[in-house]
Amino acid sequence: MPKYLFRLIAGVFSFAAFTCAALAAEPVATAQASHSSLHVYSERGSPKPDAVQWLAVQIVPREGWHSYWQNPGDSGASPILDWQLPDGIAVSPPLYPTPELIPVGPLANYGYHGSSVLLVRLETSEGFSAKPLVLEAEWLTCEVECVPQFATLTVDMEEGRGEKIPGNSGLFSAARAKLPEPSYWSARLEIAGNASKLTVFMTPSDVEGFENALFFAGADGLLSYAAPQEWRWSDEGLVISMVREAGAPAPERADGLLVLEDANAGRTGYHLTPTLSVASPQAGESDAISYTVPSMPLWQAGLFALFGGLILNLMPCVFPILSLKAFAFLSANYKTEANRRHEGLAYTFGIWLSFMAIVGVLVALRAGGAAVGWGFQLQEPLFVALMMTLMTFVALSLAGFFELRLGVEGAGQNLAAREGIQGAFFKGILAALVATPCTAPLMAPAIGFALTQPLFTVFIVFSLLAIGLALPFLALSFIPAFAKLMPRPGPWMEKMKEALAFPMFLTAAWLLYIFDRQLGAVATLLLLTGLIASIFGVWLFKQGQGRWLRGFAMLFLVGGLVFVASKPWSGLTGEVGNVSPQEEAYSDARVAELRAAGKPVFAYFTADWCITCKVNERMVLVTDDIDGLFNDAGVHVLKGDWTNRNADIAEVLARYGRVGVPLYLYFAPGEPQAIVLPEILTKGAVQTAINGSE
Amino acid sequence: MKHHILKAITILSLGVGLTCAATAEPVIGKQAPVFEGMTSSGKTLALQSLKGKPVMLEWTNHECPYVQKHYESGNMQRTQRALTEDGVIWVSVISSAPGEQGYVDAEEANRLSESRGVYADHVVLDPEGTIGRLYNAKTTPHMFLIDELGVLQYMGAIDDKPSARPSSLEGAKNYALAAWDALQSGEKIKETSTKPYGCSVKYK
Repeated sequence: MPKYLFRLIAGVFSFAAFTCAALAAEPVATAQASHSSLHVYSERGSPKPDAVQWLAVQIVPREGWHSYWQNPGDSGASPILDWQLPDGIAVSPPLYPTPELIPVGPLANYGYHGSSVLLVRLETSEGFSAKPLVLEAEWLTCEVECVPQFATLTVDMEEGRGEKIPGNSGLFSAARAKLPEPSYWSARLEIAGNASKLTVFMTPSDVEGFENALFFAGADGLLSYAAPQEWRWSDEGLVISMVREAGAPAPERADGLLVLEDANAGRTGYHLTPTLSVASPQAGESDAISYTVPSMPLWQAGLFALFGGLILNLMPCVFPILSLKAFAFLSANYKTEANRRHEGLAYTFGIWLSFMAIVGVLVALRAGGAAVGWGFQLQEPLFVALMMTLMTFVALSLAGFFELRLGVEGAGQNLAAREGIQGAFFKGILAALVATPCTAPLMAPAIGFALTQPLFTVFIVFSLLAIGLALPFLALSFIPAFAKLMPRPGPWMEKMKEALAFPMFLTAAWLLYIFDRQLGAVATLLLLTGLIASIFGVWLFKQGQGRWLRGFAMLFLVGGLVFVASKPWSGLTGEVGNVSPQEEAYSDARVAELRAAGKPVFAYFTADWCITCKVNERMVLVTDDIDGLFNDAGVHVLKGDWTNRNADIAEVLARYGRVGVPLYLYFAPGEPQAIVLPEILTKGAVQTAINGSE
Repeated sequence: MKHHILKAITILSLGVGLTCAATAEPVIGKQAPVFEGMTSSGKTLALQSLKGKPVMLEWTNHECPYVQKHYESGNMQRTQRALTEDGVIWVSVISSAPGEQGYVDAEEANRLSESRGVYADHVVLDPEGTIGRLYNAKTTPHMFLIDELGVLQYMGAIDDKPSARPSSLEGAKNYALAAWDALQSGEKIKETSTKPYGCSVKYK
């Protein structure tokens, strides 16, 4: 009786096991690791000799974790399946399902979220030994952090008839459906510098409507995994433009997957074996285009700098400060000659020190590999905002709204005010500081040149620029004859001072324009709100002596400035960089592509704060003559906007020995080198470049 | 107010300095990107100050299993010792951001160096990831060999076994060592660039 019962129970159990097997695939081996499990399934029962059958290796990571494709991308590792095989049995490398792109910070991986099934082909020969297969598996699972998983599994092997296991067919057909499909399209992958272009020779009718096309590279050096890809149809077929790391060595093969994504998140992968063409460094983008950095003797550069500094004194933003300095000087004629000299030197030193500080920062950044150029200050909206605030306050002070206790107030009723050496020094700093917005746009090319020179030249050029800026006042301090030429001090100086507020207001308006272009109207409103709040604070301050009143005044004054400095506009962006529909944005990839297609290309690099650029555009580039010329010659015009910091554009500028805009390039079809057009552009120069090379 | 102007200049300069991203790329046979970094001993280390000596850069993260394979087996220390005895300056760089895996402060970095018995000359702390991004450092470990003229000679994996198993070290080809041996004996380096493997660098 107990025996009978036992049989019954056993029978029920085996029936249960059988039905389970019919519903879910049953692994022949399974391993549980810390963050995932691994299962091996067999499509058929014990194999026949001289036959082929398939095994499936399924990796099931924890929720939210992922495993990797055969090329894991920037980091990670592909699964390692190490088989120890008895005689007469061979297994193939695994076939991987179509992977996903998994971004990790600035990097990206190729892999799978959730379960993935790799298919392994197993081949038996005549008279194979039916011993167990041993699989040493190592696979990496990552969420952000990575945990390698290890397991040793044993798959029993017996000789059999190799019949299909019905319960496993669902798993195998699902796994096969996820494998990339073979494709009959030929393809070409071209690499040039940091651009990579894939052309798949197919027609839109070859594939049903898809939304997005991506290339998954089989090896490093074909593309930057994390960089966005752009696809479009061309006459030849589907073209995907990609970015790659210029320094990365090119691989030998360009194999990979073309993945087409439809609107319903469906994805299909296709195997591609594109032919690879690598532009040799001689013919490549970056090294091919030789340029000559303009060189001039040091004395000449120095002379230019000295003269440039002198001219700076006439700039709308600097002149008012300078005049005030002169007024203070006039009124201080009771001072001894020695005193005046000391002040003159202190003032010069202040200017020189500020220039050195700015240049020092610039040189240090460039040494650190940062792609910055002159005018880089104006690419930081906070700097523009603070300069705009400073300009407004200086202007308000000049207009007599309040007395800015900088020592600038020497004119008018404070005729006799003593101005110490310290005061002169800080006035020098102020002059240099207010001069920066003016130096950037007007002197960018000259300063840009200086920055490409050795450190000693940079030092000399900038020192002379500083001395040039200080020169008028230096002359007044040291040469009494000059001082005698100055008009007598009087009440006219007060009026003059007020009048000088207006150029300062204009400078502020110009800075506000740049700021608005960078971050848009909302940010401009925020900036003006902060500014007006602090001006209100100043006004409140003047209304009385009460502690509460003054407290409130300071609250507004400081609060407004802190508000501006806290960058309340973060997250906002302006119109800059949004290239209008008629214009096409510059990218190395696009240039490489157009040149490969034998099209002429005109590229120009500009920034809203670059006055030279804007003048060139108004007078030359955006005119009917030149527009017609471009149209007739079929020239593609690409625009690089450097108003905001943009490392890619800085890199292009550097390639041509520039650290600033403007830069005009013409790539004639078939010519390996670009023609670099002059910074002060003329219609004639553009015409010669285009017609002369045809 | 005078002091305020001076302060404002300093703050502006710093602000501009910090917000500028670095972009030079490492290219074999070209000058390696120069950097300055704070070491775990609180000093500033500039790559340029090491000119005249070969330098090996090693990106590391002590919590990464692949790094652990090389340190717990003593493989990394052996490689470090071999190179430093030949006069190579070994610089370990930690680019993990605060709160991320492998982030350490100077004190902990020094403690780790001591407990693991490393032969690195400097441990550079790069929590902002500036140096890492400058070199396109992707994984830990990721190696860069720079010769005495500052030219990049090798970049990539430490060896040819992308595995976290300690047993994989057996018979592995140590690319870093091979590159240095070739460089030292004036031969051509066979593999100048390999695919690095390991955990991703835990950037901010």
